Amino acid sequence: MNKQEFLLDLRNALSGLPQDDIEERIAFYGEIIDDCMEEGASEEEAVAGIGSVNDIRRQIVADIPFPKLVKEKVRTKRRLRAWEIVLMVLGFPVWFPLIIAACAIVLSLYIVILALIISLWSIEISLWAGILGGIAIATVYLVQSAAMPALMALGAALFIAGFSGFMFFGCVAASKGILKLTKKAGVGIKSMVIGRKNAK
Amino acid sequence: MDVQLKRGLLDVCVLAAIKSEDSYGYKIIKDMKPYIELSESTLYTILKRLENAGMLTVRSAEHDGRLRKYYHITKKGARRLEEFKDEWKEVVSIYQFVMKENHHE
Repeated sequence: MNKQEFLLDLRNALSGLPQDDIEERIAFYGEIIDDCMEEGASEEEAVAGIGSVNDIRRQIVADIPFPKLVKEKVRTKRRLRAWEIVLMVLGFPVWFPLIIAACAIVLSLYIVILALIISLWSIEISLWAGILGGIAIATVYLVQSAAMPALMALGAALFIAGFSGFMFFGCVAASKGILKLTKKAGVGIKSMVIGRKNAK
Repeated sequence: MDVQLKRGLLDVCVLAAIKSEDSYGYKIIKDMKPYIELSESTLYTILKRLENAGMLTVRSAEHDGRLRKYYHITKKGARRLEEFKDEWKEVVSIYQFVMKENHHE
């Protein structure tokens, strides 16, 4: 791929981002390719050294704050015509509840996920309580010099301890996984806002 | 490495790369290469962040019939670099403590 093709690809991949951002980045990568060639690299080598357009795009999208993306998306649309404004106002009873509903769905999804995590951890915590309870009961039986029940209570506590240890790792993994997923979803939503047109 | 920590360190690296004289994108990457690999996209983000923070200024100058952007460290940027040197002494002593085999003597 030569420089021209690469920069064109990049421009296409970045369409939907703030315009001044695109120009600045195109100039930045173009300059580096030129400098690399000046050092004796061939055009192909210089372009290959930059990496793939898709990787660049992914990193850029992750770097730009979400509000800026949305603002840009709204601003790049053409000016509204009068009848469109009238339609929007008249349609308010329709689209407003729809937006609210969409937001509510997203919010409820978050709450469900959060509830899942909380319930996992609460099971874990109740298991801990079970261990303490088992030990307490065993102590009481021991004081009353009832050896068998004490042993049974202790055994139960031990069993719960093993289970809770096992569960603890599950809880941590689940929490971490959800965090990662949330982050990924953030980038995904950003990508949706920009639109993936022209991006390969 | 921890993302936050690495970001801060790379910022300082780039400041150091333009400290003695103004530099440009390709040269910064090349100068840093023996010590740390830096992708073009990462450098762009760092330069932008440093510019917004007032630690460097950008000027375009003609070179060989084309425009090249030169980055110039500001007083604030130079101060950040000095601060880092002081902070680093602390980090080194923490490192020495961590690496010490026997903590109770």
